[in-house]
Amino acid sequence: MTETFAGKVAIVQFPGVNCEYETAAAVEAVGAEAGLFRWNEDPGRLEDSLAIILPGGFSYQDRIRAGVVAAKDRVMDKVAELALAGRPVLGVCNGAQVLVESGMIPGIHWERIDLALAPNIMTDREGYFCTWVHLRCEESGCVWTRRFSIGSVLPVPVAHAEGRFVTEDAGVLADMRDNNQIVLRYCDSGGTVEDVFPVNPNGSVENIAGICNKEGNVLAMMPHPERATWLRQIPEDLAGAWGRKRRLAAGRADTMEGEGPGRAFFTSLIGT
Amino acid sequence: MLQGTVSIEGQADDLVAGDLTRHGLNLTVAEARRITELLGRDPTVVELTIFNTMWSEHCSYKSSRKILRELLPTDAPNVVLGPGEDAGIVRFAEAEDGDWYCFVIAHESHNHPSQVLPVEGAATGIGGIVRDVYCMGADVVGVLDPLRFGDPAGPSGPQVISIARGVVEGIAQYGNALGVPNLGGDIVFDGGYDENCLVNVVAVGVVKESQILRSRVPPQAEDTPYRLILVGKPTDDSGFGGAAFASEDLAGEEEANRGAVQVPDPFLKRVLTEANKRVLELARRRGATIGFKDLGAGGISCVTSEMAHAGGFGVRIDLDRVNLAPGHFPPAVISCSETQERYCLAVPGEIVDEVLAIYNDDFELPHLYHGAGAFVIGEVTRETNYRIESKGEVVCDAPVDVITTGISYERARQPRRLLFEEPELDPGRSLHDDFLAMLASPNLASKNYVYKRYDSEVQGRAVLRPGEADAGVIAPLPGRSVGLAFSVDGNPFYGVIDPYQGGALAVCEAARNVAAVGAVPATITDCLNYGNPEVEEVFWEFAEGVRGIGDACRGIGLITHEGSPIPVVSGNVSFYNQGESGKAIPPSPIIACVGIVEDYSKCRSIRWKDEGDTLYLIGEPLDELGGSEYYRTIYRTFGANVPQADFIRQRRLIKAVVEMHSLGWVLACHDVGQGGLLTTLAEMAMGGGGGELGFTLELGEIPSGLPPEKFLFSESGAFVLELPPGLEREVLALCTRNGVKLYKLGSLVSHPRLEVLSGGSRCAVWGLDELERAFLGGCRGIFGLGEV
Repeated sequence: MTETFAGKVAIVQFPGVNCEYETAAAVEAVGAEAGLFRWNEDPGRLEDSLAIILPGGFSYQDRIRAGVVAAKDRVMDKVAELALAGRPVLGVCNGAQVLVESGMIPGIHWERIDLALAPNIMTDREGYFCTWVHLRCEESGCVWTRRFSIGSVLPVPVAHAEGRFVTEDAGVLADMRDNNQIVLRYCDSGGTVEDVFPVNPNGSVENIAGICNKEGNVLAMMPHPERATWLRQIPEDLAGAWGRKRRLAAGRADTMEGEGPGRAFFTSLIGT
Repeated sequence: MLQGTVSIEGQADDLVAGDLTRHGLNLTVAEARRITELLGRDPTVVELTIFNTMWSEHCSYKSSRKILRELLPTDAPNVVLGPGEDAGIVRFAEAEDGDWYCFVIAHESHNHPSQVLPVEGAATGIGGIVRDVYCMGADVVGVLDPLRFGDPAGPSGPQVISIARGVVEGIAQYGNALGVPNLGGDIVFDGGYDENCLVNVVAVGVVKESQILRSRVPPQAEDTPYRLILVGKPTDDSGFGGAAFASEDLAGEEEANRGAVQVPDPFLKRVLTEANKRVLELARRRGATIGFKDLGAGGISCVTSEMAHAGGFGVRIDLDRVNLAPGHFPPAVISCSETQERYCLAVPGEIVDEVLAIYNDDFELPHLYHGAGAFVIGEVTRETNYRIESKGEVVCDAPVDVITTGISYERARQPRRLLFEEPELDPGRSLHDDFLAMLASPNLASKNYVYKRYDSEVQGRAVLRPGEADAGVIAPLPGRSVGLAFSVDGNPFYGVIDPYQGGALAVCEAARNVAAVGAVPATITDCLNYGNPEVEEVFWEFAEGVRGIGDACRGIGLITHEGSPIPVVSGNVSFYNQGESGKAIPPSPIIACVGIVEDYSKCRSIRWKDEGDTLYLIGEPLDELGGSEYYRTIYRTFGANVPQADFIRQRRLIKAVVEMHSLGWVLACHDVGQGGLLTTLAEMAMGGGGGELGFTLELGEIPSGLPPEKFLFSESGAFVLELPPGLEREVLALCTRNGVKLYKLGSLVSHPRLEVLSGGSRCAVWGLDELERAFLGGCRGIFGLGEV
């Protein structure tokens, strides 16, 4: 797709991912350039990229465990190296699973895998679940959410079977809290974080939807901001302020083509 | 010298029959003799196996072709490609550069495999149908899945439930992993499907007209040497005889037939899809014309012979060059197995190495899947012979047009004797309780559990999702307001009473459903699911259904092109849908309709929007409740008076509703169909759950001339619309101009309840919460435990 990634957002196309095009479109919607990086290309090409996104899908067919094979791919060594140097890295859904399996998230202990994204726990259902949820933006130093004010509520869809953040080590949870690494929590349309299904769509501990590293430049999130980049993508009947905005835009295609709640993740890449 | 010939000429019938059975062939002795005649000699095993597939009902349409040709309109001004190739193609928007954006649509059944192995059967159904669309050069933008299962509460309940769950799981596993959104579908339960479920699949893609690929060896092969590349999964014996299997009845041979179900792999398909894109880019860049076709029924032999035939060339295939899975496979198996996730390309010699490098090096197919890859398996010849070699010997050598010769049967038909009676209505029944029972019946109840199992968000194009409106809507072109709307329909209960109406009403319903979101019906596809065509009554049902579909397409016609029919651009016939008992399924023509809407932002959900808005009914409930939910659920009978499709009235209704949408009046719109007016009102009130507005229907103010129950539950096609207050005069003028009947029903109130009055006295009242409990919980225990 591109010759060089200098100044561009590189979207890593592991075999089996399937959200690379809408992710590229979301990046381009904010005026940044996007390029697809095929997993087996020379990782050196990522050197001058503006940011790196690991999109959703089923990398390596979720063999063994979602994200685990891609996490061992040689391109991830380069991604980790660049992340350590401060390069913004976003993992969405399967990308989040890759970041967790690579140990980059929460990244508290060097090269230790402290978290897992376990099978969803839901009331009266199991397996894959696709729905719209609301997220509350928590206080953190995450670069990907710097355009949101703390406490802002945004609707975004989730679509996964293994999205439940868990850790065996209570200390890790406390550390993440202390380090302000918990970036996004599932909440209701009014912003209340309540641990009931389907407000919390997968049983994630403390309703966690997104976690960043200590430095704040790497974010792993299960919901899909790229599917909420335009107002038209919001379901018409959705509760809350964004749903109302969407209903008011009916009949006005221009407004409908305007900004959706997830776009600010990508806007954070540009400007100061 | 030909290897492995079978002696047919001069042999006695019983010896020939024995040979056919020994080779696992379903061909009749007469068919084998006809093949010998066509070839002018005894055929080889490979040749017989090829004919076995090509002459199966599934591939040859040998029973149905004449009737389809005669009765279905397939051409209209918007059609780019009608039936004949893998998918139909229709223009929908002009591109900035003067090119046209087209949608590509294909519709298939995977009924028999899904009955035997539900997860794999349904998954390969999706896998096969998306290949049909990809191979036209299109990006697949969505799938829809009409499903028919047995009675979950009937004698086969546990098996029905396990099949239903498996099918949903299979669709989810494949579609979600491939990254293709689910745009809709429908589910009907009936004891008639206990032994034979229906899994129909529809795939839709988008392509620019100038970039459409054809499933043929291009004319350039006249001057340049062309090679045939096979790419994908290594060939094994899975799905060997699949097409022939789909053309048999399921008489207790489920175990034996399991090998005929293919093994799906959405991961490999996803990687192949990306690699294919790069190959097509390469071909465009190099100015090379290529031929591209997916491998489906009949495997290598079908795909290569059809590509050669369509281009007017011959081919030579070397089976030793085909990448194989571990195991020993005879030439007939390699030629004809239906291993999934494979494509065939006809590529000019000068880009062959680059094409192979994209698949094998850039996308590392051999590394990602053991034995997968792209290989040159043959070459195009100017001499129009179809020749297959294996281990240095010729195992098939015949003129291409002999291999692709069709076969046709004239089937006898005999009207079924129909004995149906109208029930006598019992005035003592409770409307309140009856309606809750209807909403909680699996056919009317919410399918939310299923919708949320599928990814309807991937690709980011969704505007209206399954369950939000009568049709799924996407915005296919970024930055443009044009939308595409999709619906699938086919109520089997009408067809039981009258198979002609069953076909006709399926078209009406599908067309109304896309109109309900403001889209203009642009095309339909049909999947015609019936029993054994050799049974005269079954063949009559089939012929009647097709006649109904054809009449409806012509009768409703394209709103945008006066005098043109709604074209049928793709479809499928599935016969032999019956079980051990020999009882055929209810006649089940299933229609998919695609509509085009100029401005997707005007497409609204069915949920009521605001207090004080006015509800209107356009169309006319008639005393034709035969096959209705009301009769079947409450009176446990079909009744007799099936709705009579009135095409002129349907056309007018559709026109009026589309016009109101384009004026921007419509706040919510829902078709009146299964379950009648009261169900429509309740579904709008609930809006999927959490509804907040209420309504009181005063029957005394509506001069319908029908008893209340019939007015409330008649399934005569109509629409309920929510419009802003104060438009009364304009709405009446519009309806009068369009010649449709208009009833003003009243205004929405903030109290969340639904009430029916008659002359001021209350017939029934429901809180929305009790409606929701019935509606959302009706499928509890079928797909899963819950309802969310």
